[in-house]
Amino acid sequence: MTAEIAPAVRVMLVDDNPARAAMVEERLWGCGFEVSLVIPSAAGLLFQIERIRPDVVLIDLESPDRDVLESLAIISHHNPTPVVMFTQEDDPDYIRQAVTAGISTYLVGGINPDQVKPIIDVAIAQFRAFQSLRDELHSTRVQLEERKLIEQAKGLLMAHQKIGEDDAHRLLTKLAMDTNQRLPAVAKTVLATLSPKTSDKGKRST
Amino acid sequence: MTSNSQLAPPEKAAISVGFMRLTDSAPLIMALEGGTFARHGLDVTLVREVSWANLRDKLVVGKLDAAHLLSPLPMMTTLGAGGIRANMLTGLSLSLNGNALTLASALWDQLGLGDASRPAALATARALKGRLEREPGQPLTFATVHAFSTHSFQLRLWLKAGSIDPDRDVRIIVLPPEQMCDSLARGIIDGFCVGEPWSSVAVQQGIGVVAATGHDIWNNAPEKVLGVTEHWHNHHPATHLRLRLALMEACRELAEPARRREAAEVLSDPRYLDLPVRVLVPSLTGEFGFAKNQPPRWLADFLVFHRYQAGFPWRSHAQWLLREGCAMLGKPVGDDVCQALVQRCYRPDLYREAARHLGIASPSRDAKEENRHAAPWEFEPGITLGPDLMIGG
Repeated sequence: MTAEIAPAVRVMLVDDNPARAAMVEERLWGCGFEVSLVIPSAAGLLFQIERIRPDVVLIDLESPDRDVLESLAIISHHNPTPVVMFTQEDDPDYIRQAVTAGISTYLVGGINPDQVKPIIDVAIAQFRAFQSLRDELHSTRVQLEERKLIEQAKGLLMAHQKIGEDDAHRLLTKLAMDTNQRLPAVAKTVLATLSPKTSDKGKRST
Repeated sequence: MTSNSQLAPPEKAAISVGFMRLTDSAPLIMALEGGTFARHGLDVTLVREVSWANLRDKLVVGKLDAAHLLSPLPMMTTLGAGGIRANMLTGLSLSLNGNALTLASALWDQLGLGDASRPAALATARALKGRLEREPGQPLTFATVHAFSTHSFQLRLWLKAGSIDPDRDVRIIVLPPEQMCDSLARGIIDGFCVGEPWSSVAVQQGIGVVAATGHDIWNNAPEKVLGVTEHWHNHHPATHLRLRLALMEACRELAEPARRREAAEVLSDPRYLDLPVRVLVPSLTGEFGFAKNQPPRWLADFLVFHRYQAGFPWRSHAQWLLREGCAMLGKPVGDDVCQALVQRCYRPDLYREAARHLGIASPSRDAKEENRHAAPWEFEPGITLGPDLMIGG
């Protein structure tokens, strides 16, 4: 263990049951975690997360704050936080199914203090792996989209200037160098300038 | 009208159905209390949940058989945009409208609209724009209860109608409904768009003023649906049909004003909403108060059950909700994906199946024009629909 060298993992615990919260908090400190904050539900979780930026949130499955946490993952502009959920429900089948179904986190049956550390460790590791996979997917998608843009711009240039593909590519590259922009950005400008106006597919106009 | 003996027996008679502490859960609660579920051979247990995330997860893992669900959630869950991906569908819309957009009293006073009469929703949005321009140093925060909800979409529509960019000019956050009024009173948020009774609570406490009803922003918006997973539906088609029949009957009864008053009493029970009758009455009866010192106004369409084909799951609604949800995520969906999802998640065929049993006429087409009609209109002979305008054109 390198707990004394690495900075402690900062945990925020959201629990309405004070006795249990105290027990878990003690165990977390004992395991080398830093418990940044212990709050009951309905205590402004969102603002506390922004203020404290914990490494992981440990929350009761039955907390109304779950929608808040999810919204952070869905539309947040700051980094999503791994979440570990626990439940009083004595239903291993539910927990097993929930994990299999991909509820983004681990569920701790009855929040047994002895299990807290391994589960937090696994949840953080799993979260990081998932994040990097997602980042990778995102960058692949961006690359594909950029390539498509360039191909479309080339096509338009070929038709418009009556030139071949190589010349169109050279022209695009030159434009990019002259304007000190990346190729996809130039392609976008070319598309916007040369393509016939497409009708707006959006439903509403204000 | 058919009797239950002509229906296939339920695959599962004892079922659990989830709901949230909102007045539009009335059809579920009244169907239970009035014995409607029992008449259809179902032994229903209603389970009160504290978050949409929990409701959805329990539905997905089969802990709940069906649930009172936000109308965009079948599509967004099938798409996997929330915490979990699962195929989810609805064959019955439970209600139209029922939300309200409430501003903190302090902010309302800054809008300079006075308190003589209720200004139009467009006027309140424009007045807010004026306030933002006058005092750019004081940013505003608004709250809804879930990212993928009509509340979020209505708040955004209202802001845009006032030329306010919902992503840049203000901050929109998610808070649990029970925390709305407290956060408003403490100045943590400046306004919220939520389902009832939370705006009525704010109005009666004198901490907020209603700037627009959900209906003002989008006439007859689809609000809650009866959600089930595709897997559950495939394994329990007869149970699902009986559930829809019972709820359609409950919705039809709730179209009667007398039944609405009764519902306010029933919903007040600690097992259900656990709130005083006086905060439940405004949305259920349509005698809706906008500010503490003003007499309530009569709004026949504040919360609609059954009327205007309210139970029909329009695919045109689903399409709009899905596009709005994806636009909010910054990930627009293509036409093919959109159409496939809408067909999978919104099932008018299931509605018609139930309507036939009850002898209720239903629309023959799956989609309708949206944002076109300012008054009730005839869709097909015998099928009258409500207005469908959206604020800002």
